[in-house]
Amino acid sequence: MNFLTALFNGLSSGGTYAIIAIGYTMVYGIAKMLNFAHGDIIMAGGYAMFTTLLLVGHPIPALCVAVAFCVALGVFVERFAYRPLRGASPLAVLITAIGVSSLLQSLAQIIFGAGSKMPLQLQVSGALKLGAFSIHYNTLITLAVTVVLMVALTLFVKYSKVGRAMVAVSEDRGAAQLMGVNTNAIIAVTFGIGSALAAVAAYLMLMKAPSLTNTLGAMPGIKAFTAAVIGGIGSVPGAMLGGILLGVIECVSLSIPAIAPFTDAIEFAVLIVILLVKPAGLLGKARREKV
Amino acid sequence: MKKLLAIFLAVLMVATCAATLSACNKNSDTIKIGLSGPLTGNAAVYGNGVANAAQMAVDEINANGGLNGIKLELKVMDDVNDPTKIQANYSALVDWGMQLSLGCVTTQPALEFKTLSEADNVFFMTPSASADAVRSESNGYQMCFADAKQGKAAAEYVNSLEYTTIGIFYQSDIDYSKGIYDEFKANLSSSITTVEASFTTNTSSDFTQQVAELKNCEFIFMPIYYTEAALFMTQAKDEAGIKIYYGCDGFDGIESAEGFTISAIPQKITMLTHFNSKATEGAAKTFIDNYTAKYGAATLNQFGASAYDCVYAIVGALKKAIEEGKTVDADTSASDMCEILKEQLNGGYTYTGAVTGTGTVKWTSDGFVNKEALAQTIKEANG
Repeated sequence: MNFLTALFNGLSSGGTYAIIAIGYTMVYGIAKMLNFAHGDIIMAGGYAMFTTLLLVGHPIPALCVAVAFCVALGVFVERFAYRPLRGASPLAVLITAIGVSSLLQSLAQIIFGAGSKMPLQLQVSGALKLGAFSIHYNTLITLAVTVVLMVALTLFVKYSKVGRAMVAVSEDRGAAQLMGVNTNAIIAVTFGIGSALAAVAAYLMLMKAPSLTNTLGAMPGIKAFTAAVIGGIGSVPGAMLGGILLGVIECVSLSIPAIAPFTDAIEFAVLIVILLVKPAGLLGKARREKV
Repeated sequence: MKKLLAIFLAVLMVATCAATLSACNKNSDTIKIGLSGPLTGNAAVYGNGVANAAQMAVDEINANGGLNGIKLELKVMDDVNDPTKIQANYSALVDWGMQLSLGCVTTQPALEFKTLSEADNVFFMTPSASADAVRSESNGYQMCFADAKQGKAAAEYVNSLEYTTIGIFYQSDIDYSKGIYDEFKANLSSSITTVEASFTTNTSSDFTQQVAELKNCEFIFMPIYYTEAALFMTQAKDEAGIKIYYGCDGFDGIESAEGFTISAIPQKITMLTHFNSKATEGAAKTFIDNYTAKYGAATLNQFGASAYDCVYAIVGALKKAIEEGKTVDADTSASDMCEILKEQLNGGYTYTGAVTGTGTVKWTSDGFVNKEALAQTIKEANG
């Protein structure tokens, strides 16, 4: 019974990781850069939600505002921080991303202070009871939202014009450009989609645990990045699989008191083992890199 | 002309020196107690509580004839809870003529103070810096429970309750929480089974899994800080199986945690403390009344109560030393003072009439404070 509870909690927190990981993996696949500021977009979404809640007091408009704000922020960051560096060395882009991350965190701290905010309006109470076994409603909501988003995203990438352009850019940017694909626009759209997902992730996280600080996205961001690498960075289904896997490992190991203190270590050890066995990640394509 | 000016300046210099010296000597008939604490900044409520209560104790003692006729004098320096300010504060206090001290109010500055005062053999008894490492064998004592020792006091309290199963929720990667947890487990009666859940700094953003682990425990011991405690309580507020939360001094201030509505938590919240801020009788009540009359209720807290006890305990120990034939006066050096006090505190000196604990405070042979813990109710269960 305990194991079953842990499994469901794991699926739900894994779903959140998966949603964040998709943001990492899409940006990597298409712009070939690690956007380490992705976690802080989540945090920004959290504060947008918090502010709207203060004004309106209802979660749905808060979510809409957060999504809009995150999309704008993501596209803005891409336009002014990353686009000028297109073609620069990967290291320069990486350092810029870390810089953007610190900038966003510091700005949030300056504006909202260091104390944690508790947007309690997002909390959902109650649980679905099946005999002795009960699942909290927020676990079910998270699972449902994750599944819907993943299906929608998969369909979008496979069948829409923009989605196929995204695949084309990720396969070969130069060739796509020659075929008339506006790569800059496609990269901006990718950042927009990733950031919208980040806003949803912020909602799911705050719904379960209403504690908002300027480092809200930092650790989930790193976990989700780990998930993206486990699944094979650049692969959208890989990010989903990696996220779910990581969430389940986390909750199951937290549920066993003897190994609970080592949960982080176990998660990252899994990453190491998987990279040793499958260097490209579970669903990643092995490709030869020129060194 | 230049020569005249030079002579004039020289005379002025000598005069100033003489004035300073005589100013120095003017107050040398008091025993000088130094203290460094955060009077401004985000921990100011602690520092001011300590400074006010210590001054109140000094004034009371002086009004009653001081230490066998010798008056006490207290000097407080502001350290803004910043360890880098301690060097300057400490030097200023030594220059002033500090003979003994109350150390620092908060832990990080106190560790710095310990290093400096150890070298000079200056005695300190901190009211509130609770890390185990603050205690120094050569010169440093605490009036508050040392962090890990709270675990023992908490275990003794829990043993006295009639539970067969309790929950424990702790943070495994910080010394404060892990230290209390270890000490608690070591002293917990073997007839009590525990259900445990933990988290680390990296997993402190969501406690869904931990709430699921602990939801059937009526009584949960939480040696953690209030931010995480508030989050856990918020996430577990629908769990009817949980009845009572019990925390240590990390719960101090939970009522005013930002954005946290304590009244929305249906469970009862209690904490281990050495000072009952809602006391209705005894020394604690007298202290509360006198303090609020003088300084208001805004800075009334266990830090101040503890500082008040520090001053009385030190004076009591000095009085006892004088009875035993030691000489203590305004000219006793800081180092001699330290030896005299150490001999008393290590030699079984008992301080009675304390505002904190249950009235009697002793120090064990390893130098840690020995008094009884109180369980204070922060919030009753919602009916």
